[in-house]
Amino acid sequence: MTTLYLDRPSPIHRLNPVTKLVGLLAVVLVVFALPQWWASVAILVLVMVPAAVVSGVGGRLLLVTLILAGPLLLVLIIAQGFFYPGRETILFALGALQFSLEGLLLAVGVGTRTAVLVAASVLLLLTTHPGALMTALTERGMPAKVSYVVSSTLQIIPAFRTRAESILLAQRSRGLRTRGNIVRRVRVLLPLVTPLVLGVFVDVEERSTAMEARAFGSTRSRVSYAVIPDSRGQQFSRWALIVLALAVVVLSFTGVLR
Amino acid sequence: MKVSVHGLEFVYPSGVKALDGVDLEVESGSRLGIVGQNGAGKTTLVRHLNGIFQPTVGTVRIGDWETRGRDIADLAARVGYVFQNPDEQLFARTVAGDVSFGPRNLGVPPERIDELVNLSLERVGLAGEGQTHPYHLSLSERKRVALASVLAMNTPIVVLDEPTTGQDARGVAMIERIVRQLNEEGRTVIAITHDMDFCAENFDRVVVMAQGRILADGEPADVFANGEALDEARVEPPQLARLAIALGWTGTVLNVETFVNRLRDSERSR
Amino acid sequence: MIELAGVTYTYPDTERAVLHGLDLSITEGIVFGIVGASGVGKSTLAKVISGFIPHSEGGELEGAVTVAGIDVVKATLLDVVSKVGLVTQNPFNQITGARFSVEEEIAFGLENLGIPRDEMIERVGAVIARFGIQELRDRSPFALSGGQQQLVAIASIVVMEPAILVMDEPTSQLDPSGTRLVFDIIDRVAEQGTTVVLLEHKLELLREHAQVVAVLAEGRIVLSGAPREVLADDRLDQWGVGSTRFTSAARAAISAELASADSAIPVSLKEAVSYFSGGRR
Repeated sequence: MTTLYLDRPSPIHRLNPVTKLVGLLAVVLVVFALPQWWASVAILVLVMVPAAVVSGVGGRLLLVTLILAGPLLLVLIIAQGFFYPGRETILFALGALQFSLEGLLLAVGVGTRTAVLVAASVLLLLTTHPGALMTALTERGMPAKVSYVVSSTLQIIPAFRTRAESILLAQRSRGLRTRGNIVRRVRVLLPLVTPLVLGVFVDVEERSTAMEARAFGSTRSRVSYAVIPDSRGQQFSRWALIVLALAVVVLSFTGVLR
Repeated sequence: MKVSVHGLEFVYPSGVKALDGVDLEVESGSRLGIVGQNGAGKTTLVRHLNGIFQPTVGTVRIGDWETRGRDIADLAARVGYVFQNPDEQLFARTVAGDVSFGPRNLGVPPERIDELVNLSLERVGLAGEGQTHPYHLSLSERKRVALASVLAMNTPIVVLDEPTTGQDARGVAMIERIVRQLNEEGRTVIAITHDMDFCAENFDRVVVMAQGRILADGEPADVFANGEALDEARVEPPQLARLAIALGWTGTVLNVETFVNRLRDSERSR
Repeated sequence: MIELAGVTYTYPDTERAVLHGLDLSITEGIVFGIVGASGVGKSTLAKVISGFIPHSEGGELEGAVTVAGIDVVKATLLDVVSKVGLVTQNPFNQITGARFSVEEEIAFGLENLGIPRDEMIERVGAVIARFGIQELRDRSPFALSGGQQQLVAIASIVVMEPAILVMDEPTSQLDPSGTRLVFDIIDRVAEQGTTVVLLEHKLELLREHAQVVAVLAEGRIVLSGAPREVLADDRLDQWGVGSTRFTSAARAAISAELASADSAIPVSLKEAVSYFSGGRR
């Protein structure tokens, strides 16, 4: 299955998926409400790092966040550092280009904000089984069709990779050469891609029959087989998080928190 | 063309050992049936013949070529491999277009290609369907297109991966006819099959595999009488062989003609 | 339990009818085998009985189709689906992808039907036990072998407790051990009283497991009756249906005047043994 999920015995893993979603939402709200560079850094240090440690997936979280947000942060530092118009304090110069503190701080602010958003999202995915997430959302009114699209895509993609390999072998066994110049490589695409795409159509047709045979699309109210644990404590926390985040937004807009 | 396999061992990247020392000599122009449970190593073995797999240990020779280091596309000139699933290779807009893919890749001159395509389509009973879109055909017809596309490559060795699976009686009869024709043309035919009756009646050599090794190798009459090997490989003998055993006959029976002759002999001896 | 009268069906955008004035009657609680050449309409018939024709496929359907007391044409697909289950040949395409474990995959149909949770748990547990697939419970349905996937597909339908189970060449893509598993399950399902309509090529197994066998040819049911008689009929060849080697051997023996044409021609191994070991003359 194509997924980030890593199974660990951590309290964060055990949380109800909706609680984690609300947590993510709260982080997003706060991060955008407080554009100051120190706000994002504070959230990173005070919220994300402890969460990463507790969840037991800190290593993977760090790696993925670096891969996704790292390059952006680097580009920002270079761009803003050298070209930020409001430059006053120069830290160093490279030829005609001057690197300013203001630019650096701006870059750090934006970059860290991105890093926090990425890290929070990735943490959610690392600690939440897609099936549990889909079930929790469907229970709260998300259409079953959306859940199906997500689950089936995650599970069927690896099968496509296997199929693509089989197609490649079958065509090479009929003499197709795959090495060579760019022109050859483009010509090679048709016999590789066509069966893959057509195969999808055949599959989709048969699978939709199987779905209908299992009464999918029935208008009866669905009951969920899997039970996703929840608690009053978590319910309360979710409301508290929302209230807190909204409070921060309001306080920020009204100029109290600057 | 002859096929020689010596001391072949193969270990998948995952560490699973699929072949544990296989030795096999297939004489030019013979018909070899390979049987055994799924996971026994039949497909792994046969995929060494056209270079899909390279030996971890040992050698595989196709005629005078060693497969080591050779590209699948090169070996395709000598070994035509018919895969089980036609939908993993059909891509052209017409049946003829797909069947001509192999010969085109092999550098067959264009004048000759049309001839080969028509001949192959005739052989699989799809003579008039050259301009049909492959996906307008049923699954069993698409299987025949895939088979035709390999026949058109005119290779001295033809490998069939479960050719009779899912086929009805007429489909099996067509496959039998093709095996016979290929044999008459002097080609070497190698087939993996679960259909013991098909195997017993159409092949002059049978190999029984289990757990990456060959348990029995010889003429069908000997192999299908080897109860021990068949048991170990969890393979059931063909229908007539089982009948011969149940009737308490010595030796085994592989086809109806032989059965009738044995019956006549046992009548006479009364 | 199943009554088809004068059924004629033409697929959309085609001219020739695949089924032509087909009549078929299947009594409750048996395993009913249907044989026929490829392309003759077996899958079409399977879809008519299970309601996918006309509700899913469109096309032109004439005639009366009554299944488990429902008029299939007038009912909705949902009504039919809760009474008639359909299993097809490709195991991979019957794994929905909607759920991540075998257990939940099996429960999926029950969820859609709105069955109360306690009952779902009971039914799923019972089916898993009956099919002997406890070790597969927590595994991903996509990580299973073809035979195992087919068992899961059948379990997902059987758990919905349909009165009728239509199986369209369920073993055609399986190896012998997978095939054995499926036929074993067919017996267990039939024991529970489910009517099984089994479209198959494997004659020796049909002889063993079916109580009635019918032949589909030329768009209609051309023969129907006890497996031993139907599978030994000499018109099977012209209809594109083969015979077991036991049958061929008996026929050849009769031609060679080594056996009498009066005894019933054998289809199975057991029948062949008694046929050839004595009492032939």
